Amino acid sequence: MSSSSTPDPPPHLDLADIEEDELEVEQEHERALGEQRGAQRERGGGWVTLAWAAPGFLWLGFFLIAPLVFIVLMSFWTPDTSVGFVKDWTTQNYSDLVHPFSLDNAYWKDMWRSFQISAIAVAACLVFGFPVAYFLAMKVEKLQYQIALFILALAPFWTSFITRSVAWAYPLMGSHGALNTFLVKLGVSSYDHPLLNTQFTQLSVQLAMIQLYILFMVTPIFFLLAQVDRHAIEAARDLGGNWWSTFREVVLPQTMPGVVIGSIFIFVLTMGEYGTVQVISQGAVTTVGVYIQTQIVGTQYPQGAASAVLLVFILILGVFAITRFSNLREDI
Amino acid sequence: MAEGVAESNSEGAAPAAPSAQTGSGLDLIGLTKVFPGGAVAVDDVNLHIDHGEYVVLLGPSGCGKTTTLRMIGGHEYPTEGDIVLDGESLVDLPPHRRPTTTVFQHFALFPHRTVLDNVAFGLKMEGIGKGERRKKAMEALEMVGLSELKDRKPAALSGGQQQRVALARVLVTKPKALLLDEPLGDLDRLLQLRMRVELRNLQRQLGLMFIHVTHNQEEALSMADRVVVMNEARIQQAADPLTIATRPATELVARFMGDNNIIHGKVTERTGNRLLVEDAAHLRASVTVENGGGPAVGDDVFVSVRAAAVELADGAAGEKTVNSADCEIVFVEFLGDLVKLHLTAGGERMLAKVPGDRYHALRGREGETVRIVWKEGDVQLLDA
Repeated sequence: MSSSSTPDPPPHLDLADIEEDELEVEQEHERALGEQRGAQRERGGGWVTLAWAAPGFLWLGFFLIAPLVFIVLMSFWTPDTSVGFVKDWTTQNYSDLVHPFSLDNAYWKDMWRSFQISAIAVAACLVFGFPVAYFLAMKVEKLQYQIALFILALAPFWTSFITRSVAWAYPLMGSHGALNTFLVKLGVSSYDHPLLNTQFTQLSVQLAMIQLYILFMVTPIFFLLAQVDRHAIEAARDLGGNWWSTFREVVLPQTMPGVVIGSIFIFVLTMGEYGTVQVISQGAVTTVGVYIQTQIVGTQYPQGAASAVLLVFILILGVFAITRFSNLREDI
Repeated sequence: MAEGVAESNSEGAAPAAPSAQTGSGLDLIGLTKVFPGGAVAVDDVNLHIDHGEYVVLLGPSGCGKTTTLRMIGGHEYPTEGDIVLDGESLVDLPPHRRPTTTVFQHFALFPHRTVLDNVAFGLKMEGIGKGERRKKAMEALEMVGLSELKDRKPAALSGGQQQRVALARVLVTKPKALLLDEPLGDLDRLLQLRMRVELRNLQRQLGLMFIHVTHNQEEALSMADRVVVMNEARIQQAADPLTIATRPATELVARFMGDNNIIHGKVTERTGNRLLVEDAAHLRASVTVENGGGPAVGDDVFVSVRAAAVELADGAAGEKTVNSADCEIVFVEFLGDLVKLHLTAGGERMLAKVPGDRYHALRGREGETVRIVWKEGDVQLLDA
């Protein structure tokens, strides 16, 4: 772009008056807004608000807060082989979990496996989910088509998760299942020695998790992409951005909250997974969820509670790490 | 619509189909856009714009003005025709390779970036270093008087401030032509009026080509060096504001610009170049046409007279003469410095604008009959 010769004196907008006028208009708006709010307060808005919030508070109190408190209490009680627990205070449950603090400890070994599966699931859902969300939000122009495609993507979720997991375990992942048969037909695998060992393995659990949770990534990213101002994208192109730099500088930063929300969903949900793991691997793969479930089934309630509390702390740390990561805003 | 209307009325418009362009300035040559589905948005538009010229594309929504602007900016691809800037065709260049930049409707600022980073964006895309682009962005912000707000996000700015950030953001890239899509549409009226003056002054100081799209007649007349009136995908008339306001070329322009009395009648007499036109209600107007040209006796024609050129005659109604009419007052509208009289002459709606100090004399006289007169020189023969 050639530069036009700079005229003398330097051009400028003389806007002192405009500023004043605008300020007046803004103050007027503020005043009107203030009056409106005042009127709401006079009508006793506080009680009404509280009444609307009450059912939610009660629900959360009974079904979220109370059980959490109970689990924390339980984790400090003493195990008892006949009745499960006695109400004697102890920290033994926790010290059993952190001694030894290494992968020789079954708890941490399962925790590490859960983390691996979870991290790969988050990354894979992002890699495969983002293009899907981008396609739906940017390339499908009609709302009807967007809705239709979303329903199509949701179709597998119309069946129960047990049915789906069973379908994954045998017809899809078995040595004579769809996946290996496809690879055999491609000539890269055989029925006796499958290329991908997907029957009752960690790999099969991993693949199932990605499929089960990818919509948790697609949906929030889709909604954020849909809100990105199309004119801002055009403006970026107009100001010299090619497709990639426009995506990196304008689209992605505005979509990051969706990526973070999706990552948190998938991280939290997959870290605690045990049902899918057990059905798909037929007990061959253990995760921290399976570990806790085994303790509960074995009436080791205080130990199970301590394992769960520690897991919650690790989840909080993970969520914190994910949100920190998103704050790494690229500076110009 | 007669062919060649646009060409005959536009000063310096490109000839119908020039083969090669080597001159300076922007040329739109046979520019046509047909959208998938067959809707013709822009139909064979020819226009030449000089550097330093302020051109306003004016027309009702859907007339093709925005599509024309988007084709110049590279945001739409023309179906046919060429866009040539200083002898170089732009048609095959993507937006980021064109020496044009656009101020988009609703400003289209980047919500996640500060004011300074918004302005520096174009320079960043050019690969200019951080220090350098911050310095240049600050200069541009000073130019629009916003340097103090450099660390704010766009959401924390007023409409007028956002508008100026959008301006600074495009000016910093030193474009050869600035394209403005309804740039004042989102502002309060008071601010709009002031921004017209400021925007025009800025353009004069920069000496840049500005192409401005609007549907607001007053805005177009007050800002443009040249107004290009578009309707139904075509240029109706391209001329200086005074000509557009006083000498509309076609019936469509006369109607769109408003406040024109349009008389549809037949030529009843032709004496040399002087025509006498009479409508169904026996309203008569005379008009002089160019040597030898124009319609013949018996032809169907449209003529127009500006409301502001119509005067109230003293005295009562008398015999019907040429360039006058006896009208019933339908409504007296006070506009501050003018009074607009809504009249009816034998079913024909007429308008007259008279000085505002006549309001006291005219108020409440709806239903009365008045005589209006106009000068032959204010009658304009329209291409229909």
